[in-house]
Amino acid sequence: MSFLALVPLLPLLTAFIVMTGDRAEQDQNARAGLLPVAAAFLGSLIALVAVTSGDPVTIQFYDTASVANLAFPIGFYIDRLSAVMMVLITGVTMLIYRYSMGYMYQDRGYRRYLGMLGITTAVLLCMVSSANLVMLFVFWQILSWLLFLLAHNHGHAATLSGATNTFTMLRLSDAAFLAGIVLAYSLYGTFEFQTLFARAADTPVTLSLWPDLGWEMNGATAVTLLIFVGAMGKSAQFPIHTWLPRSLYAPTPIHALLHAGIINAGGFLLNRLAPLYGLSPTTLHVVFVIGMLTAILGATMMLTQNDIKKTLGFSTIGQMGYMIMECGLGAFSLAVFHLIAHGLFKGTVFLNCGNVIHKARQEPSFPPIDREAEESEFSNLTWSTGFLTTLLLPLVILLVTHGVLRIPLIDSQGTVIFLFFIWVTSSQAILSLTRIRAVASWKVSAAMLVTLVIVVFTYLFAVESFTHFLYPNPEVVASYFKAAALPGRLFDSLVVGTTVLTILSWVYLYAHAHGRTVKIPGWIDVFLVRLYVLFMNRLYLDQLYLKFGRIVTLVAHHLEKRLS
Amino acid sequence: MIKTWMTPWLLMAVPFLGAALSLLLRTSFQRMKTSALLTTVASMLVVIGTPWALGDTLAGVPFLCLLPLTAFLSLLGQPLHRDNTSAWTTTLVLLGLGLGILTAQAPAHDVMLLILPGLLCILLYRYQSGATPETWRGLSAYGLSMMSAALALLLPTPASTVALLVTCATLLPLLPVHSGFIATLTGLPGNLPAFLVFLLPTVGFHTLLMLLPNLTGTTLHTVAILALAGAVYGSLRALIQARPLPRLSYAALAFFGLLWWYVADTGTAPMQATVYLSAAGLAASGLLLAWYAIRARYGDIDLRALGGLAYPMPRFSTLLALLALAALGMPPFGVFSGFLGMLLLPTFTPSGPFAVVMIVWLTASWYYTDFLQQLIFGRQRMDMRYDDLRQTEFASLVLLLLLLLALGTAPSRFFDSYIPTPPATVAMQEGTWIR
Repeated sequence: MSFLALVPLLPLLTAFIVMTGDRAEQDQNARAGLLPVAAAFLGSLIALVAVTSGDPVTIQFYDTASVANLAFPIGFYIDRLSAVMMVLITGVTMLIYRYSMGYMYQDRGYRRYLGMLGITTAVLLCMVSSANLVMLFVFWQILSWLLFLLAHNHGHAATLSGATNTFTMLRLSDAAFLAGIVLAYSLYGTFEFQTLFARAADTPVTLSLWPDLGWEMNGATAVTLLIFVGAMGKSAQFPIHTWLPRSLYAPTPIHALLHAGIINAGGFLLNRLAPLYGLSPTTLHVVFVIGMLTAILGATMMLTQNDIKKTLGFSTIGQMGYMIMECGLGAFSLAVFHLIAHGLFKGTVFLNCGNVIHKARQEPSFPPIDREAEESEFSNLTWSTGFLTTLLLPLVILLVTHGVLRIPLIDSQGTVIFLFFIWVTSSQAILSLTRIRAVASWKVSAAMLVTLVIVVFTYLFAVESFTHFLYPNPEVVASYFKAAALPGRLFDSLVVGTTVLTILSWVYLYAHAHGRTVKIPGWIDVFLVRLYVLFMNRLYLDQLYLKFGRIVTLVAHHLEKRLS
Repeated sequence: MIKTWMTPWLLMAVPFLGAALSLLLRTSFQRMKTSALLTTVASMLVVIGTPWALGDTLAGVPFLCLLPLTAFLSLLGQPLHRDNTSAWTTTLVLLGLGLGILTAQAPAHDVMLLILPGLLCILLYRYQSGATPETWRGLSAYGLSMMSAALALLLPTPASTVALLVTCATLLPLLPVHSGFIATLTGLPGNLPAFLVFLLPTVGFHTLLMLLPNLTGTTLHTVAILALAGAVYGSLRALIQARPLPRLSYAALAFFGLLWWYVADTGTAPMQATVYLSAAGLAASGLLLAWYAIRARYGDIDLRALGGLAYPMPRFSTLLALLALAALGMPPFGVFSGFLGMLLLPTFTPSGPFAVVMIVWLTASWYYTDFLQQLIFGRQRMDMRYDDLRQTEFASLVLLLLLLLALGTAPSRFFDSYIPTPPATVAMQEGTWIR
């Protein structure tokens, strides 16, 4: 299986083919460049089959005992998680590459763009198949730099500051990641994933943060917290998410790759180090809170943006928040499932987004003004179906799980999390569908029911199977849920609170759609407007960071003046 | 037959002779440059050949080779112009002096260490047209350095150790005696800044290695605090410089400050520190050479006055981007490998100041990215005539990058420094200086 080490190198061949040769032959070279990417996809599929039927593939080009003396401990560790990620990355890249051949045709940076696409794919593949933490970090950093270059549109002034912002934010998280690696090595003396997990589990270490005050921290918690900051950067988590919306001037297909592949790096990292995270409930709780905040803020900011790319960007931030929150709840496999589904979905949307923008530019027209005509087609049937299905769904799920599957819900937060996600996802899908008011009501009702069936089926069976595929040992999965378990009352409050919020939203929307006025105190209305402005301006975080930068510069100038 | 004691004198003699020869050939710039380049190659061959002829171990030879190699690369891309000729000759003299300091033993080592800042004082005075405050600060720093070196020759230990440490701090820049280093990089002409940014820290580090066993805990603690302060100060100053030379100089101060901190914090100077030192010096040297290529075309202009070089000067832009990448500590180049290598050694334990170190490390991505972006991205100026790198300039930068790559990827043991000689243990035996 040593030939699998060549899979990450194949996209490099693409870059070589595209970037060398005569400019007159660039189309021919671009077509030839597709072949290595396709071969990489095929290789990834073979890797997936191989690791599914056998043990993980390990290829090491270094001596594990003297890894610290080598700058590049190059090796590959391809397990089920790596293989899944490799298939996703190469599959998405292949589609994006083929799409870009048409979309970027005759663009000035055509060759550079396709070459960079190849290099980025190679780096991503090396990253997900890294045999140790150092190699993962090396490619993690290179990815930061590539993102900086990919986010560039050289002649566009706004892009330049956006690209700097991207790189600075990513380096901030990279620095924390590096600190985490240094700490991990000083505590456990290894970079090899399996050895690291074993040593961390066998020898719990307590770090003294402030000996005089008696502040102490578990070694695994310190390491995982620092590494989590690294994951926060790549996966655009609050408050270092600002780079993602600001990097939206890059070619649209790059966004497909960014949102379908690169941004999932955080989720991958947490999954790769899941056994280490499983040792630290504190970190998992922090991960949960950060993920939850990002999901809420990202989704809210998405609703207030007036630019299609920014809307999609914030939608991704919200989804990444979801994914990280799942990790924080111990549902690591669910996060991978989520990132694959989201990656495919968002990739498709971004590839189409370019066409929509092109079309809009060619046929400028005002937004549809036949709002009243839409309203007149309001259907009681559609709304009632949605309302009832969403409200009845939790009851149905509870009955099925409790009665048919006989799962003790009170003792198992993990199962509740899975069930809760079924409900939230289907509610979200149904809510989205009912906004299509112009469609005949019976179609919408049917779509709701089909969505409901698909979502329930997917979560109950597909996610369960996927969890078993990634983590074959159920005890391991249970241990993650146990480590991530929130205090009972807090957990119940969260579930109840979100449920109430979802139901209230439904009621409000239903009443609003009927043309009824929902009586809200005046101050809430004012508050909502202010909130809208706040979120439309993305919580003024960009300005805040800018201000911070100015303060640092001011201090430096002051220092210079004093010393001169 | 070559004797061991001859090594430093032989290593010094070749560049000095080359300097004399280049002076004789000064009527033809082409011949003068070729002679200077050949001298650096000859120096390198002597560096490799001498231990081989003596049957000595080759440990430390790759590290020593970097000095003539840097001199060669800094000379290679120089345009043939009257203004540069004196810099070429001076480069050879400094190379000889540098090789002498790295290989000689006390008291010859200490005497040469006294001569080096003296020579730098002369150069600074000679090449500064106006008496700027920076020049005077630089001259004072080197004056202090000379005085300390002289005192080290006269005083007994531990006073001589502290005196030598001050000299060392002016060469491998440490707050508050860094002004000489900054003035050297910002004020000297031609290829001298690009060569000296490697030579001075190398000599300073070598001296520090010799002093390290004799430094007390208090001294090391003080040095660690100064180093951290210097690293932060260098980063802050680098952030606000509009002109590239001061920006690159203060950035180098910040990066060498990290090295000082590590050595003082752990009390050790492992091979990885040598890799870091060499790589940080080479990366700064590469950036200075790249900027020199711009300066040769457009003069010493403000960063904001130029931009959009990516399309009209693709070779320059690509190399500059890679050099900046190496300088700010990205893999696979030596700065990253050296830094990570140092941090992963068992002698290092992460503590509070480590957070400051990481902030300094992080800040580099801010000012280097800004430097890069202002030069190569943005709108291209229509009133400028763009001219991409000539072959020699291109070759020198490519070779520098390859060196940085080699430092980043080769096992660090190849770059072990020349084993230093603690002054206290020098003894005379059968007419030869031995360790």
